[in-house]
Amino acid sequence: MKRNSVLELGVGIFMLAGILGLVFLGLRVSGLGVGMPSDTFTLNANFSNIGGLRPDAKVTMSGVRIGKVTDIELDQKWFDAKVVMELDSQYDGKLSEDTTAAILTSGLLGEQYIGLTVGGAPDTLHDGDVIRDTQQALVLEELIQQFVSNMAN
Amino acid sequence: MNDPIMIEVKDLHFTRGKTQIFRGVDLQIPLGKITAIMGPSGTGKTTLLKLIGGQLTPDRGQVLIDGQDVHKLSRRALFGLRRRMGMLFQSGALFSDLDVFENVAFPLRIHTDLPNAMIRDIVLMKLQAVGLRGARHLMPSELSGGMARRVALARAVALDPELVLYDEPFVGQDPISMGVLVQLIKKVNQALGLTAIMVSHDIKETLSIADYVYIIADGQVMSHGTPSTLDVNDDAHVRQFVHGEPDGPVPFHYPAPDFYDDILAPAGQFS
Amino acid sequence: MIDRIASLGRATLDVLAAIGRAGLFLFHSIVCLPSREGIYLWIRQMHFVGVMSMAIVVVSGLFIGMVLALQGFTILVGFGADEALGQMVALSLVRELAPVVAALLFAGRAGSALTAEIGLMKATEQLTSMEMIGVDPLRRIVAPRLWAGFVSLPILTVIFGVVGIWGGYLVGVKWLGVYDGSYWSNMQDSVSFVGDVLNGIIKSLVFGLVVTWIAVFQGYDLIPTSEGISRATTRTVVYASLAVLGLDFILTALMFGDLG
Repeated sequence: MKRNSVLELGVGIFMLAGILGLVFLGLRVSGLGVGMPSDTFTLNANFSNIGGLRPDAKVTMSGVRIGKVTDIELDQKWFDAKVVMELDSQYDGKLSEDTTAAILTSGLLGEQYIGLTVGGAPDTLHDGDVIRDTQQALVLEELIQQFVSNMAN
Repeated sequence: MNDPIMIEVKDLHFTRGKTQIFRGVDLQIPLGKITAIMGPSGTGKTTLLKLIGGQLTPDRGQVLIDGQDVHKLSRRALFGLRRRMGMLFQSGALFSDLDVFENVAFPLRIHTDLPNAMIRDIVLMKLQAVGLRGARHLMPSELSGGMARRVALARAVALDPELVLYDEPFVGQDPISMGVLVQLIKKVNQALGLTAIMVSHDIKETLSIADYVYIIADGQVMSHGTPSTLDVNDDAHVRQFVHGEPDGPVPFHYPAPDFYDDILAPAGQFS
Repeated sequence: MIDRIASLGRATLDVLAAIGRAGLFLFHSIVCLPSREGIYLWIRQMHFVGVMSMAIVVVSGLFIGMVLALQGFTILVGFGADEALGQMVALSLVRELAPVVAALLFAGRAGSALTAEIGLMKATEQLTSMEMIGVDPLRRIVAPRLWAGFVSLPILTVIFGVVGIWGGYLVGVKWLGVYDGSYWSNMQDSVSFVGDVLNGIIKSLVFGLVVTWIAVFQGYDLIPTSEGISRATTRTVVYASLAVLGLDFILTALMFGDLG
């Protein structure tokens, strides 16, 4: 059978384009490897209402991405939401014990994410610790309700 | 007919859909001779070749090649048998994605492990025999109908088969390429000592090269003999076919009500 | 009434027989050992069904990405959420539009060509003569085409998605002025590689197999006349498109149905 090198080259470029495209979809579009350091440590936080927070949502500090939410479940003891976060291990032991976690929204209707703010306590958080001071998600209906009842007063 | 028999067809029955194509065909194909199978179009001549080649299975009856029943062979044995057969198709059936050289080389590459240089020699020899050695780099789409059939002939004999089946080799050819093909088939057959079965309805050309002729009509063998005996045969079917008479046992008119009544049918009764 | 029931039964049996034939056909074609020559034949078909469909896929992907960004922007800006443009463009492309539109284009461009090519081979007795020479046309003609379709469509889908996202970037960021960083970071936050990208590719693998299977089978099974070829070509495009849209719903329900 005769071979045709132009044709083989064309098919080779085609398959290479497919692989590069997949790499692009992986790195640039799904953000694999971006803000996902290989070494992480885990922190927990309980929220009375998480709103629309989902696993894989980002965790930021001063707007800088430092980790992501890995798991959300209902705490059977307190009946509030227990959120598990994985943070970059370089912050392990750097965040003060009174760090606060708040569920924030990007834009008015955008994705929800967790924002951390450090406090001033000398002790620090380590792998598996729990953040005590949390601020629940802003739920639009509750805001409106508050606003209406304020108007009524 | 005193020649040794290569192929024997016994009591062949074949039905396609609801039409019965063959009802008891008996043929004997002598070794090393050109046997023509003739008949009006639509009598299943091509089907007969496919039955002999083992591509179709008959409802009843046998096809014996060298005493082996073609339709009882295993796939492997059939494959081996086909190595000894070449077939020239009505349209040439060249593979449209391969050039002339590769088309002729195809059976060699499939059935043999010959080195490339040897394959090249054989292919050029075969192409030289059909006068198309210079056209070896053309694609089938660039060939005229006659040339395509010559290439197909070269491919059919590439493996030096013992048996070649020709399916309507002359159909739709101009007089020159028809003459060329007639000469070629004759020459190739004599040179290689082939047994050939040729299906055709081109009477003049077929009678000029065939050693023996079978005429098939209505799913049965109507008559058989050498070309010279058929020419003077008195049977109405044979005479109509061999002499090309427009009317006879095969009627000119499609069945219809009486012409006179049809013409004079009162208005409003047209059907 | 009895007649109707009888004809319904006959039609059902015909359909079942056709499905059975198509299934056996697929089985006989795919189950074969790859050979060196087989790989060469496959490369040829990759060129025919894959590389030759690149142009139409790139152009359509670009325009669909651009339109998505334009439409999405006008809607999102009403909620002040134009930052979420990247996420919207990427999710709709990766999950739905890239696999489905690429498969529809593929059915029209490569599927119809495959049917016509194999039909013409059947009409010119090439398949029969191959059998007479002792080569199984299912292995030599059909198998490389099936494998080429199965491999090319996912590649075309990935290319469609990438070009579409880039088209959305051109319109959203360069023209409408969405902030560059939020286009990409919103996308990265919401698109999951396994959940979205890989699921999209699984869809396109299924579509690639089904579209090529329909195209090749229609070519192999047609009545070898010019009318038969043109009918089979039309059937390929219609059946393949319907199969893609129907399967898309089923696959989407299986993959994303239990979310939220």
